[in-house]
Amino acid sequence: MEGLAIKVNRSDTSIKVSNLNFAYLRDPVLKGVDFTLETSAVGLLGPNGSGKTTLLRCLLGQVPLEKGQVQVLGHDMAAAARLARAGLGWMPERGGIIPGMSGVGLVAYLGELSGMPSRDAMQRAHEVLHFVGLADERYRKCDDYSQGMKQRLKLAQALVHDPHWIFLDEPTSGLDPRGRVSILELIRDLAWNKNMGVILSTHLLADVEAVCKEILVLKNGELLAREKVNPGGMEPLQVFEVEGFGNEEAFRAGLEAISENVTLEGRLMMVTLNLAGLKPTSAVADDGPEPFAAKVGVEAILKVAVAHDFALRRVRRRPVSLAEEFYKMVEV
Amino acid sequence: MPVYERGYTHWEPSNRKSWPAWWIIAKRGIAQPFKSRWMIMLLVAAWIPTVIKAVVIWGKLKAGDLIDAFSGGWGSIDPQGFLVYLEQQRWSVFVVLAVVGAGLIATDRRDNGLSLYFSRPLGLRSYIGGKGAIILFYYFMVTLFPVYALCLFSYFIAPSATGMELLILTPLRVTVYCVLSGVGLSLILLAFSSMGTRSLFVMVWWTIMVMGTEALGNIAKGINSTSLQAVNFLGNFHNAGAALFSTGDRLAVPGWISLLIVLAMVGGAVAILRKRIRPVEVVS
Repeated sequence: MEGLAIKVNRSDTSIKVSNLNFAYLRDPVLKGVDFTLETSAVGLLGPNGSGKTTLLRCLLGQVPLEKGQVQVLGHDMAAAARLARAGLGWMPERGGIIPGMSGVGLVAYLGELSGMPSRDAMQRAHEVLHFVGLADERYRKCDDYSQGMKQRLKLAQALVHDPHWIFLDEPTSGLDPRGRVSILELIRDLAWNKNMGVILSTHLLADVEAVCKEILVLKNGELLAREKVNPGGMEPLQVFEVEGFGNEEAFRAGLEAISENVTLEGRLMMVTLNLAGLKPTSAVADDGPEPFAAKVGVEAILKVAVAHDFALRRVRRRPVSLAEEFYKMVEV
Repeated sequence: MPVYERGYTHWEPSNRKSWPAWWIIAKRGIAQPFKSRWMIMLLVAAWIPTVIKAVVIWGKLKAGDLIDAFSGGWGSIDPQGFLVYLEQQRWSVFVVLAVVGAGLIATDRRDNGLSLYFSRPLGLRSYIGGKGAIILFYYFMVTLFPVYALCLFSYFIAPSATGMELLILTPLRVTVYCVLSGVGLSLILLAFSSMGTRSLFVMVWWTIMVMGTEALGNIAKGINSTSLQAVNFLGNFHNAGAALFSTGDRLAVPGWISLLIVLAMVGGAVAILRKRIRPVEVVS
């Protein structure tokens, strides 16, 4: 029997979820979830019990789908989950280690189970263990690994068969700050440079900000929002922090003329600009949304400063934290 | 260029053959116990009766009835003699299967290994097939393979008239019996293993199932209770398979009743396995 890896539909790399409902016994966990993802880095956010892990299990075809449809890599997960799984990697939050095996043995074993020939699986296991930084520890029994090493090993086993998408459930759980940054860098590299789809389920909003391009927010099993990760970047009202020296009164009066509101916070002027009313110059018009929003506002403030002979020390768009947006969305 | 400087690279599939998932699971599971010195000693101990039987067969063929009178059937090379041998091996079967099989699913459940297995292109049948093949292999190690060895040994030292029986018919009977009973025992032991997350828990239940029911069966025999003898777990396997060896019932109940009991147990085991093996995480 040939391995399944070669049967994966390579042309369709999308994930399509429509009207997905799921309940454990009579307790509904997912209610009418709808979204479509192309290869991207997606953060899955939500409070405890919002259905994040269950959604990932539905995407993996690990639970029977009651109502709705999940299509992954062109395969209907109710009928052909096994075929789709050959193109998916899964890093569970808890466990995920088979005791008694060496790191390289475990990764190669799971590679073989993904349909890889045994020699390919072993060769590939060495490669991915190098990539995750476990090259020196690969022959040690994985039972003896530290928490950080176990997380890396779990990432390696998710990558061994070179999936199109990897689903990561709390990948930085239990890691020290350095280990956390290191594993996030690996995940970011996969998502941003290696064209691999990543779904990152986590409680740590900073992790999502570091890795993801967009977020899905779940609350009580419902998909509450789907946003780009530069939250507030496209909002017309933006707050800019301004600091400098010169004729402050005149400068402030000039700012008030072009802005919605100007307030003082210590030495900082907080200027709320309505970007929708500002015309960009051609130099900034072709940039992406985030630089556009920032540059148009800065450009307007610079003009006022020049007109009032005010020396600017600092002008920047106040970053809107993902946490702020997230907590607003889920009303925590 | 050193590998660590390459970063992540995509995998280019080769033309090499990949194996079915059940075989990959079985291969690893069969190799793993051989790394334990204790397991090897256990297997050697399980073969001691085989060596004794071989010596008795040799003695019987050389010294005739004199040895047979003292051997208590150990020197028999007819089908019935091999069924008796398989019955005598039940303690080896009990211990070896307990050591090999108790943790097969329990450990995966404890360490959330099921979630890993079922994130691969792997179905329930492949998983159970792989795990069952491990138990089946070790069951054969203490039943079928020794019988093959004994048949071959007997063939070389026995009169040529018994060659057909020793080389073809007896191995065939034993093979059919061992495959059927081995599959049944594997499924039942896997069902036990799927019910807990600790090997010790499974071993306790396996001990009750094998030794407890045999003790009950013996008590039933002592008080002449015919129907109660049917509780003997392994006895039912031997009783159901007795017809294959052209011999009478091994328990006081008819062979077909034992067969029904075995089938009911196997059916129950399959139902338990279908219910218990799910890729859910166990929060400990």
